Amino acid sequence: MAETPSKSLRSPTKCKQQSHLDANSSPSVNPVTPQSVAPRRSTRRKLLAFDSVDPQKPLNCIDELCEHPSKAPNKDKARERRNLNRSRRSIDYAEEPCKGKVTTRRNRTRENVSIGKAHKKESNSGSAKCPTSTPRGETSKRRNDKDSDSAKVPIAPVSPDQSETKKRKRIDERRVVTRAMVARSRKSEKGQKSNVLPKRRVYYKKVVYDGGEFEVGDDVYVKRREETDSDNEFPEVEECRLCFSSGDDVMIECDDCLGGFHLKCLTPPLKDVPEGDWICGFCEARKIGRDVGFPMPPEGKKLVRTLREKLLSSDLWAAHIESMWKEGDGTYCCRVRWYVIPEETAIGRQPHNLKRELYRTNDFADIEMESIIRHCFVMTPKEFAKANEGDDIFFCEYEYDVHWHAFKRLAEIDNDNEVGEESDSDEDWNHCKESDFDTDDDVEYDAENTKDSRPQSSSNHAPAANLRKGQFFGLQKIGTKKIPQFIRNHKQTDIERAKAMLLLASLPKSLPCRNKEMEEITSFVKGAICDDQCLGRCLYIHGVPGTGKTMSVLSVMRSLRSEVDAGTIRPYCFVEINGLKLASPENIYRVIYEALNGHRVSWKKALHLLNERFVEGKKSGEKADQPCILLIDELDLLVTRNQSVLYNILDWPTKPHSKLIVIGIANTMDLPEKLLPRISSRMGIQRLCFGPYNYQQLQEIISSRLKGIDVFEKQAIEFASRKVAAISGDARRALEICRRAAEIADYRIKKLHSNSDLAASGKGLVAMADVEAAIQEMFQAPHIQVMKSCSRLGKIVLTAMVHELYKTGMGETTFEKLAMTVSCLCTSNGEVFPGYDTLLQVGCRLGESRILLCEAGSKHRLQKLQLNFPSDDVAFALRNCKDLPWLAKYLV
Amino acid sequence: MGRESHKMKALSLLRSRICDPKFVFKPLHDSPDSNYSKLKFMISSSITEACNNSILLLGPRGSGKSAVLELVVGDLLVEYPDMISVIKLSGLLHSDDNCALKEVARQLCMEHQLQFSKAASFDDNSQFMVAMLKECGLAHKTIVFILDEFDQFAQGKQRLLYSLLDAMQSITSQAVVIGISCRLDADQLLEKRVRSRFSHRKLLFLPPSTEDSKRILEQVLSLPVDSSFPHDYAVEFNRKVQDILEDRRFKETFNKYLNLDSSIKHLLRFLFCAVSCMDLQTGFLTYENFETAFSSILRQPKLECLKNCSILELYILVCMKRLEVKEQTLCNFNSIMKEYKNVHDSFQTSDYYARNVCLRAFEHLINRELICFTDSRGYGSSVEFRPVKLLISSAELHQGLKAYHSCPAILHKLMDREG
Repeated sequence: MAETPSKSLRSPTKCKQQSHLDANSSPSVNPVTPQSVAPRRSTRRKLLAFDSVDPQKPLNCIDELCEHPSKAPNKDKARERRNLNRSRRSIDYAEEPCKGKVTTRRNRTRENVSIGKAHKKESNSGSAKCPTSTPRGETSKRRNDKDSDSAKVPIAPVSPDQSETKKRKRIDERRVVTRAMVARSRKSEKGQKSNVLPKRRVYYKKVVYDGGEFEVGDDVYVKRREETDSDNEFPEVEECRLCFSSGDDVMIECDDCLGGFHLKCLTPPLKDVPEGDWICGFCEARKIGRDVGFPMPPEGKKLVRTLREKLLSSDLWAAHIESMWKEGDGTYCCRVRWYVIPEETAIGRQPHNLKRELYRTNDFADIEMESIIRHCFVMTPKEFAKANEGDDIFFCEYEYDVHWHAFKRLAEIDNDNEVGEESDSDEDWNHCKESDFDTDDDVEYDAENTKDSRPQSSSNHAPAANLRKGQFFGLQKIGTKKIPQFIRNHKQTDIERAKAMLLLASLPKSLPCRNKEMEEITSFVKGAICDDQCLGRCLYIHGVPGTGKTMSVLSVMRSLRSEVDAGTIRPYCFVEINGLKLASPENIYRVIYEALNGHRVSWKKALHLLNERFVEGKKSGEKADQPCILLIDELDLLVTRNQSVLYNILDWPTKPHSKLIVIGIANTMDLPEKLLPRISSRMGIQRLCFGPYNYQQLQEIISSRLKGIDVFEKQAIEFASRKVAAISGDARRALEICRRAAEIADYRIKKLHSNSDLAASGKGLVAMADVEAAIQEMFQAPHIQVMKSCSRLGKIVLTAMVHELYKTGMGETTFEKLAMTVSCLCTSNGEVFPGYDTLLQVGCRLGESRILLCEAGSKHRLQKLQLNFPSDDVAFALRNCKDLPWLAKYLV
Repeated sequence: MGRESHKMKALSLLRSRICDPKFVFKPLHDSPDSNYSKLKFMISSSITEACNNSILLLGPRGSGKSAVLELVVGDLLVEYPDMISVIKLSGLLHSDDNCALKEVARQLCMEHQLQFSKAASFDDNSQFMVAMLKECGLAHKTIVFILDEFDQFAQGKQRLLYSLLDAMQSITSQAVVIGISCRLDADQLLEKRVRSRFSHRKLLFLPPSTEDSKRILEQVLSLPVDSSFPHDYAVEFNRKVQDILEDRRFKETFNKYLNLDSSIKHLLRFLFCAVSCMDLQTGFLTYENFETAFSSILRQPKLECLKNCSILELYILVCMKRLEVKEQTLCNFNSIMKEYKNVHDSFQTSDYYARNVCLRAFEHLINRELICFTDSRGYGSSVEFRPVKLLISSAELHQGLKAYHSCPAILHKLMDREG
């Protein structure tokens, strides 16, 4: 470490306490050794087999490299330069990066494999008992493990039970080398290090390193190479492009060249930062076509590039810290996920790319903290829109798949909430684990189609995409090769924003009008969890569709989850099942068991195992002790003939050691009463009713979503909510009506006024008429229109039906009678009677669209017919028919 | 020879026009009120705004629901390449949820070049679908599900619809479900929890008005003047077509035809028949062509059946009719034979056949569906004892007898007289 004395490692002691837990606990400050976990299943044995391959070899390798790990980069500098050139070039030729990457990967893995062997040996003999590999089937469970671990000891450095060895395998590869290339010589250094050093690896959530405080989940700049002297300083403050001093004055950024300017240095000087986009004079001039250069700096002063500039010219990298740990030898390492700039993607920079845009990749690497420079801030579009200060802000909306060169939107949930961050979207965890797993299998990578994230590269045939063995295969293939431009450049009008907000899918920030129910659910769940013995805990929730039953329960669970994270209540596991999504009611056992234990077994086996767990109280695994909350949506679908499924499930909570809490949701109020008494006595005790929303509530729901968007007339919302409240009280309906109304208004504005200025200005409210139209469309069968527009004979037949009905008072008639009536009508009004068979055809056509209900046409004169709509509707539709005015007299 | 080829070309041009929904439906699209532009707006807005929609296309058969949808989807595929994947299901084939989901998974796999496994279970497939919806949504790809014969999907537990619509409640998915049905009450068939998730956009397809039909007619039938056709031929052809359209007789026929069913498909069938009758010698359409088409499409199958009946069969029918008039609601072969004998005894007709011959005639009538068994039960018992009913109304029978050339006068008498 002689080379970098400044980088004193003060981190672990300064590890910041997360206040609300045990503030007194000093142990959390000290690195905690990973908890030894019971060895996990067979893979470990598999590893043993590998170990026979010469364990000693790596040991003999270069010692000094390991001693001075920071020296290594220097040695490789020459090569890196080359690499750099290479990667530069690769941007120019679209083909190139592919090849380059593939070959590198192969190199790397080979190297990994050999290292891995050494490690495996080591991990066996060594003291640490961390399981070394992740059986694939356990991924989901493991994830839970991880979550609950961190939930239990949020302060202490987290030590996920992931394989250390594998983590370490890659440490060096990426240390200072280009992302694309791997230096071969690392291998020996690598393996050697791990052998010499004690096998402790300590994970942290937060590290103070070289004066900077880094946390898991932060974004950082990463050194690309040992900087040449001139570039070695990392200016925190950007200099003005005109006066070349930083100073305290307000600077403005050009939206085109991203250069900074003092307000006062501009000609003419600006007083305030203007609203909207601002482009500097140089760029404007350049746009016109003039060749303008920026003023050169005064003699003796060098133009210092900021980190941002370096990053955007790919002299630096940005990365997202996934996890951090201290190696046994005291070096700090972290696992990062790279960001790339648009130029580094296969497709290159697109016109719609923003200046500060980055893509998140699915490429991970372990690097030393040494190469981290300092923080940058990569933000989601929402955050980016708000942030307007600082130079190290970047914009990231898409993930870039480095293997398939495809883009994908980032799921917003990833960055939004803490929970999502922690488990960091299932995919991520799988990614790293599986990529590690691959190397264990000692598989030569096939150049073309191997992927780090493919778990089963050892199998001969590509797995089917729709067969799920814990994971769907090949989904990573999906992704646009090119982000469509119109999506990025599109500025939403007010109405479009309103439509987006009214989407059923968009989760509102607050859930109005269900506070009472949610409190009740919360207290129920809390009470059930906190009891030492949860006896017979079962809650039945009922209410008509669209009254927020499932949503309320889920939001309660979310808030409880955060309480678990905060440590105020005991951890529990939560299983959510939808009855309508099960292939058969019995399948529920399988699903429950899979959710709890992560294995897939047949439902009979699952029932047996679940019975063991809940009835006999056999606990296997540390997690089984936790209370389990089972949410069954659409409970009525589980009713079988002998109702055994429901009985079993509802019987478990009554057992003394089950620790099972069942929340059932269904539409009908009297479902328990319809069931066998032994079931209703178990289920019907605690009930919660979600009544239909009344119009004020609906209005509140709609307007809370539309807050700040002023496109609806006030009465329009009220009208919609009153209408829905009168019919069903279904919030989904109300939202859909409003969305449809907005759509109609949008259509009206865009199509009908396309040439006038109205569309451009975005004016035009959603009016009553639009809501009216939407309601019409949703609630009214279009039969009247169809009757009005049906053929002449059709109208006559309908009239005859009504006439027949009035005459006889019977709803049902036969074709023969109808034909008689029709022929009477025709002859007395000068129409030509078309013949029986034609008439039959006409009748059947009307029957097809269910204006009439009729039997099959082959019954001919015995065919029974009936009007499907009230005769008044027919009368209304046909009374003012222009072609056949005489119809009216038969319709009264 | 050259002239001949022109005629052939004109004929094939007309035919291809009639069979091509694009040509027929395109001109109806310009107005903002047309279903085409409405549907296109809905789908494209859910592509660009990344939202989920479910739309029902309703309307009587032959009103161009599928055709317009095809047009819209085709246009959007051009407009947004690589952003739409279309999944097509038909209610007649995939009304079973299990196989419908499998088909969805298969088509999704095909679309994205993934490996598909037939062995995947219902759960696997439905989870795969949900996962694909999410992934595609993230990649700005819209999945358009087209459910033809939508009402068939609304049978049973509606698992497919539920899981589809429920998956669409999540923010990341981006899908459009389009149901096509000729049942106007299709949305009422949905279970209430499914209906609550359905977004209830409805488009109603109506048959064109008479004026529109005429316009279509004119547009389809007139040849392009400035094209490869000889100018004078095209002009002459168009003039003749105009003449026909102006003809009073033609108008009558045309109206008579549309009276029955004014849908576009029905109209096109008429045109196709007429065009196919075109005389290649002259190379022009004539009024007679339309007349032939009209009579060949509008047939009276029952009356034609009667024309081909033998005298004995007519006797049997008349006897059945007489029995019916006597309010003898149930009759079988034996009772008919009794009546037949009565008739023979009282009128001393010349045609009296043996019982087994009558039985043959009786069976023949059953095969032609002029009479039928009243119940489907009793397959085991012999034909003679099963109750039968007349499937032709007395008025038709009357008409048929009149049209029958060699009908014995006695039969007319029997028809008219009671007892």
